[in-house]
Amino acid sequence: MSKPTDLVQGTLDLLILRTLTHEPMHGWGIAQRIQIVSNHVLQVRQGALYPALHRLEQQGWIRAEWGDSENNRRAKFYSLTKAGQKYLQKEQANWERLSSAIGLVLDEARS
Amino acid sequence: MRWFAKISLRMRSLFHRRAADDELDAELRSHLERQIAANISAGMSEAEARRVAMREFGGVEQLKEECREMRKINWIQDLAQDIRYGLRMLRKSPGFTAIAILTLALGIGANTAIFTILNSAALRLLPVPHADQLVTAGQNIRSANGNMHRNVHDDGSFVSYSEYRAYAKENRVFSGLLAYSAFTETTLGGNKPQPIMGTLTSCNYFNVLEIRPELGRFFADSDCAAPGESAVVVLSDSAWRGTFAGDPAIVGKPVMLNRTSFRVVGVAPPGFEGTVTVASSFWAPLTMVKAFRPADDFLGDDDLSWLAMIGRLKPGVSSQQAEANLSVVASGLNSLQAGRITTITLGRATLLAMPSLRTPILIIGGLIMAAVGLVLMLACANIANLLLARAAGRRKEIAVRLTVGASRGRLIRQLLTESLLLALLGGAAGALASFWSVAAIFRFALAHLPKDPELAFALHLNSDFHTWSYAFALSVLTACLFGLAPALRASRADLTLAMKEDGAHSQTGTISAGRLRNSLVGSQVAVCMLLLLASGLLLHGLYRAQTIDPGFQMKNTEAVVFDLSSAGYTPQRAAAFQRQLHDRLAALPGVDEVAQATCIPLGNSHDLTGFSTPDKSKSYEMEYNHVSANFFRVLGIPVLQGRGFTDAEARSGAHLAILSQSTARRFFPGQNPIGQMLHGGGEPNSRVADWQVVGVVADAQVATLGDSRKLYLYEPAGPGQQQDLKVMVHSAAADPAIAKEIDSVTAGLDPELSVTIAPLTEVLEFWREPARVVSVLSVILGTIALLLASIGIYGMVSYGVSRRVREIGIRMALGADNRDVMWLVVRQAMFPVLTGALVGMVLCAAVSTIFSAILFGVSPLDPGSFISMPLLLLTVALLASYIPARRAMRVDPMVALRYE
Repeated sequence: MSKPTDLVQGTLDLLILRTLTHEPMHGWGIAQRIQIVSNHVLQVRQGALYPALHRLEQQGWIRAEWGDSENNRRAKFYSLTKAGQKYLQKEQANWERLSSAIGLVLDEARS
Repeated sequence: MRWFAKISLRMRSLFHRRAADDELDAELRSHLERQIAANISAGMSEAEARRVAMREFGGVEQLKEECREMRKINWIQDLAQDIRYGLRMLRKSPGFTAIAILTLALGIGANTAIFTILNSAALRLLPVPHADQLVTAGQNIRSANGNMHRNVHDDGSFVSYSEYRAYAKENRVFSGLLAYSAFTETTLGGNKPQPIMGTLTSCNYFNVLEIRPELGRFFADSDCAAPGESAVVVLSDSAWRGTFAGDPAIVGKPVMLNRTSFRVVGVAPPGFEGTVTVASSFWAPLTMVKAFRPADDFLGDDDLSWLAMIGRLKPGVSSQQAEANLSVVASGLNSLQAGRITTITLGRATLLAMPSLRTPILIIGGLIMAAVGLVLMLACANIANLLLARAAGRRKEIAVRLTVGASRGRLIRQLLTESLLLALLGGAAGALASFWSVAAIFRFALAHLPKDPELAFALHLNSDFHTWSYAFALSVLTACLFGLAPALRASRADLTLAMKEDGAHSQTGTISAGRLRNSLVGSQVAVCMLLLLASGLLLHGLYRAQTIDPGFQMKNTEAVVFDLSSAGYTPQRAAAFQRQLHDRLAALPGVDEVAQATCIPLGNSHDLTGFSTPDKSKSYEMEYNHVSANFFRVLGIPVLQGRGFTDAEARSGAHLAILSQSTARRFFPGQNPIGQMLHGGGEPNSRVADWQVVGVVADAQVATLGDSRKLYLYEPAGPGQQQDLKVMVHSAAADPAIAKEIDSVTAGLDPELSVTIAPLTEVLEFWREPARVVSVLSVILGTIALLLASIGIYGMVSYGVSRRVREIGIRMALGADNRDVMWLVVRQAMFPVLTGALVGMVLCAAVSTIFSAILFGVSPLDPGSFISMPLLLLTVALLASYIPARRAMRVDPMVALRYE
């Protein structure tokens, strides 16, 4: 089994934060959203999702609240904090810089 | 804001753990339910939907643990849990716990005790207000052309009086710079003159140190205005309470110091005993130095280093700035003398700031620390061994914990917590014991060192932040030392195997565990061998010192020691005194010879200078002595060649020399030494001259006990040595009253002179006592080491036997007899023992020369010790392995084969 390596570690944080920019969501919803938006390329496993959510909460990037979801089920909703927004912007810029750099190298290698 | 949120989250997970856990549970459950619902709506049956969701979800408990891990406060909870668990484990095996704690208490306690002594001398700042602003300042003088002459008194980093005045006046960095000359030994006059130790100081001494007088006042600047004018003195609290019985009206009274009347102006507060390790009983202005040391011109001689300096930094000045500024002053001094290069060194103001004091004490202290540290390592090895054996018994427990989701790191942490608990308990016990006993032990050791009545130590041997942190750090270090290897090993269990087997006799992992165990025992034996050999050598040295024949006659001879030069005698008066003393002593009933010498043989002071052949082809640094004509007769040293000095030569101070046999051989091999010339020192003030050899005497251990071949030269005691001569009184038969009679003679000549009278045989004690203390210490350490090592060997063998019961049973069933089994067990045990012993012997051979000063001629590779001690160790090792091996012989093959 090929491991989703360390890249995923940082990337998952980024994906979660990005997903939360629209509205507060619960864990299952986050996983679903990422899966759908990525055309089922990215599958977020629970084993990685919940530790990541707890870590982000501990760092103060997101905050959690219990609330009612559709058909009156209680769920823990995560939302982005101010610090989290700033962090996301920074990380997203980093990521774009990195991926475009990688893209450049790959293109150059192809030609 | 973010911080606040973070902290409140952590607090919540710490104190509302249950609620946080419930929430996590609910969150994960709701996720699962959603997934199931999603699966159902995708067309699965409810049962299948649940199954798929569960499978996707994975290990719930592991996931929860991971989430908890993210809360970051886990370690606090884990720690609390580990401590509870560890305490329970320790309570469960009280025998193991008690042995481990006791061993550790011993090891850590001994280490802490030694450290407490070193700390109070070398690390702790002076006991004065704001001591962190104080720095010691010393200078080091070199010369570009290599011929700078400098007279050094006590320490090479000292400065002359004129240099001190330059530094004090021209520096811009100190609010005050003081100078002092410690170790000023002098005579306190009175009904019975007694030696007293004090310090000469600049008059700002107490101001710079910011000390307030207990009584009266300290020095004013006017006290140092004119040399020799202001005979005032400050007494220490203990001198005031002791010698002067706490006289409340002491201020203003006169005391006689070295025949000069000083007026007491004040008493220092209790607890302040000067700025060096040796306590001062009095302080006098350094401009009064002539009263204490009349022979030299301390104030006028610009080339005489005799003052130490301490400065108080102005607020905001760093010690680098101070050093730079003093260097500027020093470069001004450099310009006064061609080729002079001065370097400034600043240091922390401790009692051990002087290099000449610090170096030897730190070396000796370091050696003792090393020895005690080795014993602590032995203790660690033993506890590691015990832990390994315990870990083997706990394999199953550990495997279970690994299986249900504990991470390896978590397990190691838990095992280490147990070790840490042991070490901290042991360390606390040891540290408490050492803080209580170190002062008593220190006093005991001092009482057994050569006595010097005026010598008291200014050390305050109490615990402080340094000592507590040292004990704590040492405990943690020990815990890692003995706990890490067993914890790493134990947590590497192979789950399936460990779970399947019954845990009693598995062979898996025992090979590397056995190797670890063997190397532990091997290193124990090596350390033990090292300590045993050292104590063997030292004991042999002590025996030699007790039984040695120094090569000269000591019986019925009293050494009469006094210092006329510092008592203010001129050479003329000294000569008259010596003549009268000689005549009156010779007239005492029973006395048959009165000899004179500047150095008492094997005494605690000696003269050293260089001598060379006229063509400079051979040049040696050597001890020499000025002696009267009958010196050789009184000491029974035979003249082998040529002749001794005549009385007339001794009186005239003729330039003649007598060599010891070895010295003659070194200078003039294969030639007749009589009539040859030697060029070298010996005159007062180190003036060099030519000396004609007139005789050769037998070698004797007059310089160093145990070494008769040390180079030694005798010159006749002439008019130039009258101030420095001591007297040896020989009586025909033992006379217990002779000391008293000599005392009344000297008191009759000069009641103010402080005189020590002791049998010549007593000088040997000066050499024996340090040997005795070191030997006792090394024997104690060696015995503890042997005990610990034999426990280690015993443990290793009995564990090995218990592991191999079945194998032994099979061997016996196949016809092996008791001897074979015994051989099998003992052979395996002896491999690490022999290896360790060999390593220990090599180590000891490599370092044993450091003891040579107290071995008294016993070779550092003394075959006696290097044979007997290994034999002793091997015997004990065989015994320690024999007892468990006997158990192996009693194995019943039938029982053993069923043993499961």
